[in-house]
Amino acid sequence: MTPIFEAKGIQKAFPGVMALKGVTLSLLPGSVHALLGENGAGKSTLIKVITGVHQPTAGTLLLDGQQAQFHNPRDAIAKGIGVVHQERNLFPRFSVAENIFLEQIGSSYLTPVDYARLNREARRWLDALELDIDPATPVSELSVARMQLVEIAKALSLQSRVLLLDEPTASLTTSETDRLFQIVRRLRDDGTSLVFVSHKLEEVQEICDRVTVLRDGANACDSRSMEGVTRHDLVQMMIGRAEGEGAWRARDTSAQPEVLGLSGVSTELGHRDVSLSVRKGEIVGLYGLVGAGRTELAKSILGQSAVTGGEVRVDGKPVRIRSVFEAIHTHGLGYVSEDRKTEGLILQHSVLANAGVPIWRKLGGALGTLTDGKIRDAVLPYLRKLEVKTPSLAQTAANLSGGNQQKISVAKWLAAGVRLLIVDEPSVGIDIKTKAYLHELLRELADNGTSILLITSDLPEMIAVADRIVVMDGYRVTGELPNTGEYDSVSRAVMDRIHDMGEVG
Amino acid sequence: MTLQDATYSSGTDDSPLGPRTGLSRSRFFLSNEFGLILLIAIFAIIFGFATKGFFSPFNLFALGRNSAVNIMIGLSMMSVIVTGGLNLAVGAMGVCAAMVCGWMIESLGIPWPLAIAGGLAFGALLGWINGWTVVRTGLHSFIITLATMSIFFGVMIFLTKAEAFRELPPVFTEFGRARVLGYVSPLLLVTLVVAVLLAWLYRGTVLGREMLAAGASPAAAELSGIRVGRMVILCHMLSGALAGIAALMLVARNGAAIPSMAGQLGQDWLLPAFLGPVLGGTLLQGGKVSVLGTVLGAFLVTMLTSGLLMLQIGAFWVQSFLGLMLLVAVLLDKARRSYLARRNLA
Ligand SMILES: Nc1ncnc2c1ncn2[C@@H]1O[C@H](COP(=O)(O)OP(=O)(O)OP(=O)(O)O)[C@@H](O)[C@H]1O
Ligand SMILES: [Mg+2]
Repeated sequence: MTPIFEAKGIQKAFPGVMALKGVTLSLLPGSVHALLGENGAGKSTLIKVITGVHQPTAGTLLLDGQQAQFHNPRDAIAKGIGVVHQERNLFPRFSVAENIFLEQIGSSYLTPVDYARLNREARRWLDALELDIDPATPVSELSVARMQLVEIAKALSLQSRVLLLDEPTASLTTSETDRLFQIVRRLRDDGTSLVFVSHKLEEVQEICDRVTVLRDGANACDSRSMEGVTRHDLVQMMIGRAEGEGAWRARDTSAQPEVLGLSGVSTELGHRDVSLSVRKGEIVGLYGLVGAGRTELAKSILGQSAVTGGEVRVDGKPVRIRSVFEAIHTHGLGYVSEDRKTEGLILQHSVLANAGVPIWRKLGGALGTLTDGKIRDAVLPYLRKLEVKTPSLAQTAANLSGGNQQKISVAKWLAAGVRLLIVDEPSVGIDIKTKAYLHELLRELADNGTSILLITSDLPEMIAVADRIVVMDGYRVTGELPNTGEYDSVSRAVMDRIHDMGEVG
Repeated sequence: MTLQDATYSSGTDDSPLGPRTGLSRSRFFLSNEFGLILLIAIFAIIFGFATKGFFSPFNLFALGRNSAVNIMIGLSMMSVIVTGGLNLAVGAMGVCAAMVCGWMIESLGIPWPLAIAGGLAFGALLGWINGWTVVRTGLHSFIITLATMSIFFGVMIFLTKAEAFRELPPVFTEFGRARVLGYVSPLLLVTLVVAVLLAWLYRGTVLGREMLAAGASPAAAELSGIRVGRMVILCHMLSGALAGIAALMLVARNGAAIPSMAGQLGQDWLLPAFLGPVLGGTLLQGGKVSVLGTVLGAFLVTMLTSGLLMLQIGAFWVQSFLGLMLLVAVLLDKARRSYLARRNLA
C-alpha cells in the first residue's frame, strides 16, 4: 500500500533545544498509527510541524507522494489534515457549536451566521461521541474532559483524510475512551489515516496497527506494523529499558487519627449528603465518571465555593474554610489542579518560580526575604525525582512539553509539605516511567504521614496507589470499598457501584 | 552551553543554575535594558555635539531632577501594571498626596517629616480605594481609575479652592536646589534608592513574588494560596505612595504644593507614566516587570525631551518624537528577539 502522507528527515529547533533531529513517519490509509515516546521526546512538536503550526528547520512533507508545504494550520486543514492538539485550543466564551465550526464560520465574512443550523450540525458530532451537552453552552462552563471531547468533535467535523490525535484520551475515563475508539475504528474502516498519541499502552495495543516511537527527538522505530510487538518491546524502545513493577502493598492506617472528615456535606455546586474521611497517612481514592463532581468537591473543601450544609472537620474539629489561603496556610491542605494550563501553572513564569509558589511563605526569612537558592534547594529534589526535562530552571514553563509541565504542577505540591494533599488527575500526559515514579512518591509521602485524596479517572492508577476507594456519581457518594490491589476484582466492584445508580454519562 | 541535555536525572552535580547565569550574562547584551543604555549613549553623543551646553553642570543637574520625577511616575504606573491593570489616576493621586502634605504643614502646623509621611500615607489610602473597588467590582482598573481620577481631582480642587500651599519650610526648596558633587540632584538619589528597593521587592521578597504571580495568572495564584485580591490592593497602594513621592519632588522643585502642577486632572503625567514601563519592557498583561528598564526608559524620555527642546524644536514635535521612539523601541525589541532565537538555533 502506498502511504497517504510522509514526513522525511524532519528537524525542528527551539532556542536551546533541538526538539526533532531528523524524524521520519509514514502513514497508510485505513490505519491507526501510534506515535509514542517519553515526555519531551518530540511527539507534539512533530504533530505541529505536520499541521502547519511550526515550520520545520529541515526536512520534507509528502502528501500523496507530492511535496507539500503548510505555512499555517489553515493550509493543512485545506489539504485534509485534521488535528486534536494536546493543549486545549477552544475559545472559552464561545459556545460549543461556535467552537466546533470556527473555521467554517470564518470562511464567509458577510453572510450572517445561522445559529439554528449551526447548533443542529454541532449536535450531530456531539451525538457521535454520545456527548450530552447543549451546543449553545459556553465552553468555559465545561469540565476539562468535556472540553477535550468537544475538541475531538471539532476535529471530526472537518472529515479529514488524515487525523492526528495528540493524547486525546488523557483526561477521559474508560467508557468515554471506548466511545472514541468506536469512532476511530469506523473512520479507519472508511479509509482515514489516524495518528494516535497516548501514554496508556493498553489503549495503544487495543487500537493501533502501526507504530512509530520517538526518543530524544529521533526515531527509535519508524512506522512498523504492530504485529508481534509486545508491551515490553514498546517500553524498551521508549525508555531503553524494561518497565519497573508497580509495588502495591496493603497499608494499614486504621489506627491513625482522622485528618479530614466530611459528614452530610452539601455545597452550592450541588453536592448532596457527601460523607468521607481521610486518616493520617492514608490514600483515599475518589473515583467517578466525568461529571461526577469530584473536582467540584475538592474546590468546595478548599473554600473556593461555599459548603451549604453538613460538617467539614480538620483533625476532628469542625471548620469553616473560607479561602484557599486559609486551607493551605491554616489547615495545611493542598490541591494539585487537573487543569495545569490555567490553574496549575503560571505559564509565562520560569520553572523555578512555578515550582516554589506554595512554599514561598514558609521559606521567607525576616522581612519576607527570599532567594532563588533557597527555593531551588527545596524543590530541586522533586523536580529531579520526576525527571523534569528542561534546558534550565529559568526556562519559561510554557515552552516545556505537556508532560513536563504536568510534572512541575505536581512537584510544586510534593515540595510544599502540606498535611493533606488533594491530587486531581496527577498523571495526565505523564509518560509511563515517570508515572511509576510519581506513584512511588505519593506512597512515600503517605508513609511519612501525609494524607492523600486522589482523584483520578485512570482506574489502573487508582488501583496502583489508593488504600481505599470512594465512588462518586452525580454529586453524591455512591459507595466505598477497600483496595486489594487486584485490578480485575476491584475494577468490577467500582463499576458496579457506579452502575447501581443507573446509567449516567 | 550544552543546554538541551541538562536533565536533572543525569545525576551530575553541575547545578542547573550554572548555565542560567552564563546565559543571562551573555543575554544582557541583547536585553531591552542594554538596548536602552545604548540609545541613551547615542543620544547623549548627538546632543553633546548638536547643542550648546548639554553637558553643562546646570543642564545635567536639571536633567537629573526632571528624570527623578519622571522615573518615579513610571515606577508608580509600573507597580499597577504588575497586576495586568493600569492606573490612570497617578497624577491626581500624586497631587492630592502633596496637597495633603502641604495642608498638614500650613494649616495644622505638623512638622514637615510627619507631614511627608502623612501625604504618602494618603496616597496609599487613595490607592487602597482604587484597589478595593477594582477587586470588589471585578471591573478593569482602566475604568475604575478613570473615574477616581476625576473624583480625586475634583474633590481636591473643591477643598483647596484651587489655591496652592506656598508657606512651606525652606527644607523643601533647599532639597530641590541642592547639588551633590556639583551637578547631581539629591532627588535623583532618592529615586534611585526607591528603585533599588523596588527591584529587591520583586526579586527578593515573598510579597513581591506574590504580586507578580497574582498578576500573571490569578487563577493559578489563588489555588497556590496567594490572596490575589489583597495583592491587587497592595499594588494599587504602592502605586499611590510612589505617586505621592513623585508629587512631593515636584513640590521641592517648585517650592510650593500647587493643585495644577500635574495639569488638568493630573493628565500631564500619563505620557511619562506609560513610556517608562513600556520602553523598559514591562509586560502590559501583567506578571513581569523590569525596574531597571523602567528607570532607563524614563531617563531616556526625559533626556530626549530636554535635548530636543534645547535644539529649539517645538514642544509639539517633541511629542511626535516620543511617539516615534515608542515605535522604534518596539521594532528593535522584535529584531532583538528574533536574533536571539536564531543564534540559539545554530
Ligand atoms: N515553543 C517551544 N519553545 C522551546 N522549546 C520547546 C517548545 N515546544 C517544545 N519545546 C521543547 O521541545 C521538546 C519536545 O517537546 P514536545 O512537546 O514535542 O514533547 P512531547 O513528546 O509531546 O512530550 P509530552 O509527552 O510531554 O507531551 C521538549 O524538550 C520541549 O521542551
Ligand atoms: Mg506532547
